[in-house]
This record gives sequence, structure tokens and C-alpha cells, in this order.
Amino acid sequence: MSSQMTSALPIARSASEGRRKKRNNRLQEVAMLLPACLLIALFLLVPFISSFQIALTNQRLIPRPVPTRFVGLGNFAQVLSDPEFWTALLNVVRFTLMILPIQCGMALALALLLNQKLPFRNFFRGVFFLPAITSMAVVCVIWATLFQYPAGPLNQILSFVTFGFAGPIDWLGDTRFAMLSIVLLSAWQAYGFQMIVYLAGLQNIPESLYEAARLDGANSWQRFWHITMPSLRQTHIFVLIITTIQAFKLFVQVNILTQGGPRGSTNTVVQYMFSAGFVDQRLGLASAVSIILFLIVLVISLVQRFVMRDRP
Amino acid sequence: MSGSATIKPHAVKVRSTLLGLAVSDLVKASAVAIIALVIVSPLFLLLVASLKPDRFQILADMGSFRAFWVSDPSLQNYRDVATLDGSLPMGRYLINSMIILVITVCGGILINSMAAFVLAWGRIPGRALVLTLLIGLYIVPQESIVLPLLSLVTKVGLTDSFTAQILPWLASPLYIFLLYQFFIQIPQEIYDAAVIDGASPLRIYWSVFLPMSLPALATVAILLGIETWNQYLWPLMVTQTNWSRPISVGIASYFGHDSVYWNSAMAASVLMMAPVLLFYLAFQRWFVSSFISSAVKG
Repeated sequence: MSSQMTSALPIARSASEGRRKKRNNRLQEVAMLLPACLLIALFLLVPFISSFQIALTNQRLIPRPVPTRFVGLGNFAQVLSDPEFWTALLNVVRFTLMILPIQCGMALALALLLNQKLPFRNFFRGVFFLPAITSMAVVCVIWATLFQYPAGPLNQILSFVTFGFAGPIDWLGDTRFAMLSIVLLSAWQAYGFQMIVYLAGLQNIPESLYEAARLDGANSWQRFWHITMPSLRQTHIFVLIITTIQAFKLFVQVNILTQGGPRGSTNTVVQYMFSAGFVDQRLGLASAVSIILFLIVLVISLVQRFVMRDRP
Repeated sequence: MSGSATIKPHAVKVRSTLLGLAVSDLVKASAVAIIALVIVSPLFLLLVASLKPDRFQILADMGSFRAFWVSDPSLQNYRDVATLDGSLPMGRYLINSMIILVITVCGGILINSMAAFVLAWGRIPGRALVLTLLIGLYIVPQESIVLPLLSLVTKVGLTDSFTAQILPWLASPLYIFLLYQFFIQIPQEIYDAAVIDGASPLRIYWSVFLPMSLPALATVAILLGIETWNQYLWPLMVTQTNWSRPISVGIASYFGHDSVYWNSAMAASVLMMAPVLLFYLAFQRWFVSSFISSAVKG
């Protein structure tokens, strides 16, 4: 629209000059768009496409003198028949099922608390958000000391609360508790993000709904259950999906604290891929895992789009 | 709402008085303050422990309230870790992280916003196609491309370099899309006025659109900054020596030994956290709104 305006300017200017200017403008636009497109093509698109190609070969990270062979779907067959991979996948599902209620419950409770009239509300919101800006490496250092066996803070609290009945737990070293420990520190680090998402959701609920309910004599529990929860439907779905996707990418805390152990109890899909591709140098096998990971994330994202489009 | 179908005209007033009597604002605030203290106490514990030079004392104190108290604070841990050479030179790692952060954030803002501007207001054909491709690529997680990327970087001999840690993450579909959504909301009249003044696209972008887009640019700067600062998987694979290693990987290397030097790990953690915390204290509202916009649009 405005390019016509440019050429229709009442300034005396020859047509060829206008054309040249237009061409220059186009060239400028191409030059502005190109860096991003080139970088994304080179560092996202090319690796992504080549992962499909590599997954069909027995390529090594550092090539050996033996030439790389085409192995068809052999890598996928090998991954899918490896009990360790299934353990890793199952661990991720276990992680998701454990962290969802803890993290979302905590986030929603704090959001409800902060959504009331409260002195120093912004200050508190800032304080509750602090763990969310703490880097995972730092979170690992902190929680590794909290988890100390046998006399760390968590074990002391546990012993105090149960009057010495529950013995000290080797949080990160016991196959029964290692994943729970990873869940606890992950929930502590990430609840702040969910909290502000819930806060934003709460602030979108019209006050008139609550007033009407009060006039109907609904108590606060009924108001929560019949107004707040249904109004937060979209937020719930969003938080659920994001948490699930994040769970499937679980890696940093596991890699730092347990390396997937003890006895595979905290192994995850990405940790499995990392060991196969980087530690064991089996690039073909690891690429097959990365494609499986992509497909899982893709399916979850599609489910999200489908469910969230369901209702406006 | 069972059983209480009768409408009380003064229900609202009665309720608020009752509530006002039951829990005053101050009691509520103190309750929230206690919860906040409990949740944030691990961070306080980290700071306190980093001031204790004896690593055995840190562990001995951990099980009691002495964990929250340091009788003779010392900066010895910081002096020990903030070095530029040695086996785990945290000072060097911190500087590496900062170099990577500054270049990635500045370059990333420029490259992503230029692309977003052309996609939103440019005249060249194929823009819609590029946008669709970008949105499609957004789903691809970093985790599923790092290994082929590592193979590529190894082939061109860029392992253990700053380039390999910066270049791949400068352009990002997410940030282009966030900025695109911001640019597209700017009124047509503003763009038209600039065109009538004879401004070129580059000029319109630089002198008209960028100054109007500070909130969006701040959002991208904060999200990209946090993301860069916390990078772990990629630098873990691509760095091989202290030359280019960032602090996240540096701190992780305290683990995996029989006895962890907790005093050093604590001090290094505070060093890693401090820059983020300072920025957070200065721009708290921006941080929170950035995370919200990444959630709503991402």
C-alpha cells in the first residue's frame, strides 16, 4: 500500500530513480532478514535434517578409519529393544506424574495467596520468584547439601517431624528416593514460573463472577471450586503441557547430581542420548534417540494446540 | 451452593467484617512471610555457607540451626575460587560466561529484531512462508539437534571456542516470533509517515521502530540472557578446556568426586547467582512480565 504512496509522491523525481530506490529498499530488507535465516538454517535446520540421515547410519562422533555404513532402521530397533531406554522413558513419565501435583499445587496455592489484598504483595511476589531465576547448577549445589546423608537438613527435619521414627534417607543414593529428590529440587526451582502464569490467569477472572456468587451465598470453598478452577481451565492445560515437555527434556540436574543413577533410577531420555552420543560416541544411535525425543515433544505440542483450540 | 439458596442482601458486607475480624491483613502478611522464609531459606543457607572457609564445618553445621549462622565470616572461599588459572578457575569461567552472555544478547537482539521487522513490515515476497517455517521450527527442542550440531562443529574445528557457544544461539524462532507479534501491532500510520518522509527500511527499523519497542526488546534480552547464562548441555559437550568453559559447567565439575569441596562450590554458586540477582533487583517487574509473555505467546 505505502509503496504505491512512495511512487505517487508529488515530488518531481524521475521514474527510474524511484525504481532504483525501490530496488534498494528491497535489497535492504533482504539484508536484514538474511542473517537470522542463514543462522537458523545452518544451526537448526541443517542439524535437524542431518539427524534423520545420521540416525540411519552407524556414524561415530569422531570418525574411525572404518567407513560409515548405512544401517537402515537398525538404530531405532536397537534403542526400542534396549531395556535401559524404556527405563529412562518410564522414569521421565514417573518424574512428570510426581512433579505435576507438587509443582502446580504449590504454584496455584501461592498464586491464590498473592492474588488477595495483602500488604507488600509485590515484594512477596518478587521473593517467591527468586528460585526461578536461580541457575540449575546452583540449585544442585544447594540441594545436594540439603540432601546430605545421614545428617543433612532434610534428614534432620524428617527425624524431628516423625519423632526419630523415620530413619535418615540417602536421598540421592537410594533407588527408591533418588527420583523423588530430583522432583523436589526441580519443583522448587520451577514453581515460580507456574506461579506467575497462574497469577496472570487469576487476574483475568472478572470480579463480577465472585460478587454474584457471594450474593448467592457461596462460601469461599464453593467460589474456588465453581468459579476459580473452571475459569483457570486454559491455564491448567498450558501449565500441564509445558511441565510435561520440560520433563521430557530433563537433563541438567540429573547429569550433575546422579548421572542417571543409582542403578538407572534417575536416567532420562536426554541423559540416555547424552551417554550414547557423547560418552560412547555412537552418534547414529543417539540421533535415533533425539528423533524419538522430537516426535514425543511434537505430539505433546499438537495435543496442546488441539486441546487449547477446543474452547476459545 | 447446596442449601443456601436464600439471597441475603447484606451478605457481602457481613462477610468482609467477619473476615476482617478473623484475620487482619497483618496476620495474613506474616503468614505469607513465614512461607516465603521457608521457601527461600535454601538461598540464604547458600550465602551463609559460602562465608565459612572450613568445608568440614559446613557439613557439620548443616544439620542444625548453625547452618543459618556464621560467627566469623570470611571471604577466603571467594579468594580461593575467583582465580584465572588453576584446575577450576571460577573467575575465568565467570568471565567466559559474561563474554558469551553480552555478545549473544546484543547480537541476538539485533539479528532477531531485524528479521522480525522485515517479516512484519517488509515488502519482499515469501515473508509468510518464512514465518510459517520459523513457527514450525520452534517446536524442535535444542536437545534433539545438539549432537548433529556437535558433529558439524567438530568437522569445522570449532570445538572449545567462544564462536561455537555464541553463533548457534543468536537467531531464534521464538524471539523472532515474539518481536514479530510486537511489531505487527504498531499502527500502519507510523510506518506510512516514515515512508512518506523518504526513509529506507533500515532507517525506519532503526530510528522509528526500535525506539518504540523497548519493552519487547527488554523481554527478549532477559529471556535470552537467562537462557544463555544457564546453558549447560551444549557447553558441556563443546568445551574441552578452561579456555572457553562457562561457569555452569565449571560448578558442575565440583561433583562426581568422592568428597565435594562444598566451601568452594558454595562460593562459586554465589558468584554465578550474583549477576542475575543484581539484574533482577534492578528490573524485577521486567523479569516477571518477560516470563509471562514467553508463556502466553510461546
